[in-house]
Amino acid sequence: MPKVSMTVNGKNVSAEVEGRTLLVQLLREKLGMTGTHVGCDTSQCGACVVHVDGKSVKSCTMLAVQADGAKITTIEGLATGNDLHPMQAAFKEHHGLQCGFCTPGMVMSAVELAKHNSNPSEHEVREWLEGNICRCTGYHNIVKAVQAGAKAMAAAK
Amino acid sequence: MNLSGEYRLPQPRQTVWNGLNDPLILRQCIPGCEELAKTSDTEFTAKVGLKIGPMTAKFTGKVTLTDLDPPNGYKIAGEGQGGVAGFGKGSAVVTLEEDGAGGTILKYTADSQVGGKMAQLGSRLIDATAKKLADEFFGKFTEVVSGPAAPANDSPATEPAAAGPAATPAGDGGGLPQSVWIVALIAAVGVVLWMVLGK
Amino acid sequence: MAVDGIGAAVKRKEDFRFLTGRGNYTDDLARPGQAHAYVVRSQAAHATLGKIGTAKALKAPGVVAVFTGADLAADNIGGLPCGWGIKNKDGSAMHEPAHPVLAVGKVRHVGDPIAVVIAETLAQAKDAAELLDIDMKELPAVANMREALKPGAPVVHDGGSGNVCFDWHLGDADAVAAAFKKAHKVAKIDLVNNRLVANAMEPRAAVGEFDRATGEYTLYTTSQNPHVIRLLMGAFVLHIPESRLRVFAPDVGGGFGSKIYHYAEEAIVTWASAKVGRPVKWTAERSESFLSDAHGRDHVTHAELALDKDGKFLALKVDTLSNMGAYLSTFAPAIPTYLYATLLAGVYTTPAIYAEVKAIFTNTVPVDAYRGAGRPEAAFLLERLVDIAAAEMGMDRVEIRRRNFIPSNAFPYQTPVALQYDSGDYNATLEGALKLADYKGFEARRADAKKRGKLRGIGISTYVEACGIAPSNIAGALGARAGLYECANVRVHPTGSITLFTGCHSHGQGHETTYAQLIAERLGVGLDQIEVSHGDTNKIPFGMGTYGSRSLAVGGTAVVKALDKIVDKAKKIAAHLMEAAEADIEFKDGKFTVAGTDKAKTFGEIALTAYVPHNFPLDKLEPGLDETAFYDPKNFTFPGGAHICEVEIDPETGVTKVVNFTAVDDVGRVINPMIVEGQVHGGVAQGIGQALYENCVYDDNGQLRSGSYMDYQMPRADDLPSFKVATAITLCTHNPLGVKGVGEVGAIGSPPAVINAVVDALKDHGVRHIDMPASPQKIWGIINGNRRMAAE
Repeated sequence: MPKVSMTVNGKNVSAEVEGRTLLVQLLREKLGMTGTHVGCDTSQCGACVVHVDGKSVKSCTMLAVQADGAKITTIEGLATGNDLHPMQAAFKEHHGLQCGFCTPGMVMSAVELAKHNSNPSEHEVREWLEGNICRCTGYHNIVKAVQAGAKAMAAAK
Repeated sequence: MNLSGEYRLPQPRQTVWNGLNDPLILRQCIPGCEELAKTSDTEFTAKVGLKIGPMTAKFTGKVTLTDLDPPNGYKIAGEGQGGVAGFGKGSAVVTLEEDGAGGTILKYTADSQVGGKMAQLGSRLIDATAKKLADEFFGKFTEVVSGPAAPANDSPATEPAAAGPAATPAGDGGGLPQSVWIVALIAAVGVVLWMVLGK
Repeated sequence: MAVDGIGAAVKRKEDFRFLTGRGNYTDDLARPGQAHAYVVRSQAAHATLGKIGTAKALKAPGVVAVFTGADLAADNIGGLPCGWGIKNKDGSAMHEPAHPVLAVGKVRHVGDPIAVVIAETLAQAKDAAELLDIDMKELPAVANMREALKPGAPVVHDGGSGNVCFDWHLGDADAVAAAFKKAHKVAKIDLVNNRLVANAMEPRAAVGEFDRATGEYTLYTTSQNPHVIRLLMGAFVLHIPESRLRVFAPDVGGGFGSKIYHYAEEAIVTWASAKVGRPVKWTAERSESFLSDAHGRDHVTHAELALDKDGKFLALKVDTLSNMGAYLSTFAPAIPTYLYATLLAGVYTTPAIYAEVKAIFTNTVPVDAYRGAGRPEAAFLLERLVDIAAAEMGMDRVEIRRRNFIPSNAFPYQTPVALQYDSGDYNATLEGALKLADYKGFEARRADAKKRGKLRGIGISTYVEACGIAPSNIAGALGARAGLYECANVRVHPTGSITLFTGCHSHGQGHETTYAQLIAERLGVGLDQIEVSHGDTNKIPFGMGTYGSRSLAVGGTAVVKALDKIVDKAKKIAAHLMEAAEADIEFKDGKFTVAGTDKAKTFGEIALTAYVPHNFPLDKLEPGLDETAFYDPKNFTFPGGAHICEVEIDPETGVTKVVNFTAVDDVGRVINPMIVEGQVHGGVAQGIGQALYENCVYDDNGQLRSGSYMDYQMPRADDLPSFKVATAITLCTHNPLGVKGVGEVGAIGSPPAVINAVVDALKDHGVRHIDMPASPQKIWGIINGNRRMAAE
């Protein structure tokens, strides 16, 4: 089996994987990082979004071997100790989550949007999140949270 | 799903008829066909692997011919099993007519059903896939029945075969006789698995 | 009021773990030595099932075991039980066929489980499943209810009357017939309540584990009601006493009804864990969820409303076919009967109502409750019919509603279909919504849209629902085979921190925060001192779980009752410590005082005394401060409200965009307004989904054609607007908090508002009704006179 090495949330990790192993399977099953979720089998729902070399990626669309040598950030890597990342804090403040299942993917997608756009309009947020499905919130509070989180990220720079 | 359509082939009717009943020829024309055996005068078994994108799917099929009326046509019924990918079955009435210019017009009306994961995930892709594979099949078929037999295993399933000038789809249907139709299923399986697993 | 008590928009306690990836969902569990189960499912909608050859599969790499229905039968494993019995019109019992855990003899829907392969890895289990030699012969199948009723239709279950599960009715047929004779006008409608899939974002999962030392089984599962699963699975399926069966539903990623029911996979992994001596884990893939989670809705209805010359409703008659699917899911028979026909009075004074409901078996996935469950179907039918009546009468759509509202001074109000509403003010919610939606300004907005080439429409729905399920004695009389009370255990620890053990289950509703607010309010302790524990049958005394918007009205009342007991006992302890009469003890803001003195003891001091009873009235009181209450509600609760939807249709494409959505709801007292608004948002989104996007489609052979997110259209962020949400409350009169419930209102009120708006937008095209989902194809077909597309 091929061996892959990568950085996950700042830590060097390596593992032997089958060729068919997906990045999300490596994270969840081999590395025990279960914060990244799997909500579908057709790459539609976005619950599994992580950052690969700074870009948001559905980790169910990527083979683990393709991530060899990459720098991965998952939802577990955003907060500093007990201090939430500004986007996480905004989701809490604006009630942008209910059951929490889509939340890791939503937050990771939102963080990338905020990197490009520190003051996104409602329309821009809704378009950006088109690849992340939430069944609980109706997106209303997620949109508010992402707008507030983007501003807070810009202010924290 | 009901499909119908027609193809014009440059070969005489008897040649087309013979080809449609010759497992060696069929085997060369069905994209990805690994095995095609005539188990009786009216029965074939087939194993077909098809590669689409990163996926390979294996399909096992059984085909039965009835209402044989050489060289005017037959009714062909079959079913194929693709394991967890699902199954397909159906039947088609195939008729061969002389076109008056030495060629043959092949007409078919097919009635088919797909089941399992293929129906669940891929049903809307099947018509288009079937159409593409039908063109591929008849292109190859025309080539094979008119010239020296091509090697059996060189059919690049991921690309349209040299379809073309020889066989011309007629009418607007995307239908196909059963032996080809099984191939269409296989293609569909491949597409579906690619979508599901190859992401 | 305590700072973090009732009425405060407290941020949620549970959010930190969800936001940091520390949630603990069932699929996150990795039990030591666990093996993986793959469930082999039928690809045919209807087939005979003969022998299943397992020899080849058993020899495949990594395979631990293969089990089939025959193995379960050999162990005397029972079928999955149905929790509600319905009687036919003639008083006879409904047709209740067996529902085997793994199919035996026949399969009846695509997805029906046939066998389970257990292996070291899931990939190995899947590979081995391909090697099973299954002897199946396909039979003709029937997916459509009308087809299923035709003579000669394929029969899903032998031993009944064709495919009819039950033929039931409610109301007074004679009174309705008499009223129709006097009618000035009759409004009629034929409509469909489209089949939906709940699609909680977390797919179902289950892990079974058997402890050889104690003989205890543990099932970790994605459930809304772990005690109910323990009861059903232990008593009816696996025959394991509760004392040796632990069911634990950890964090659950949404339910919406679909995780109420006892599913085959739960029984399989629990039973198999003892057979193979290892934990066994199963997780659904999404495409498997589409084939195995209970679906929702799926009604076909004809209804007629009789009106007098003033537009007053005289009588309503309703004839509904309801799809049960291939087997009876846990609560399926209750949904199109007691949660549907009993709501047909709606918010109106209609004096005579008669409803007939035929439940039909088909070769489709079982159908059961999905958010709203029966009540959205009733609201959709009524609110469409009222709009049609307004059109027939030439009346304004707001006026016809106002004229027929149950007046606010008429409560308690007895409807002709069994329910007694305790409180409500339907004018108040309607007026609130009209104002918030700027209803008066609509025609100007319509004219503006027209200039831009868009068709704009507005739709109203005014609805009531019954939730807070349910008074056990009433439910029992109507066929429920369980009680529907709730349980709470408040455990005050020696140093004054508190754990609440609740029988309800939170899977997004924020119970850990809302219940903590109830405790903070009452005991005057900080939220950081309170933990809420749910989901584990080994920790929680008992519970019926979370569904039917019951967690606050029933579960919250149980918390209040337990708190009453805590305060009673604490007062006695305080009286002893302060040498005062119990009657003179006052408790406020976490302090016990003696009236008229400056003597005081904190709640913490009392807690410590209870557990360190050196100075304690041991002759009168037991030590400890730990109280349990069970609460059985006196009545349902009746939230209601008014929803107003504004849409714009692009006639070039047929695409409908919801441009404004306003909801003013009466949910009773609000504990946490932030959470209440969030619940309404989510419900409205699902209602808009039903009205415009979602549809579960079967072909004529019973093959599911919309079995993934490529074909089943979930509402996405860019499909929806931001919502305008407010409350206009009346208090529930029969529970101490005055709460009604909010979980389902959004999904109940919204679909008719959306379709009423679509029909309004298309009024120049002669449209009376459009079935859900109002897809672009249908609308384009209507606008362009293409009947085939319009009918699709």
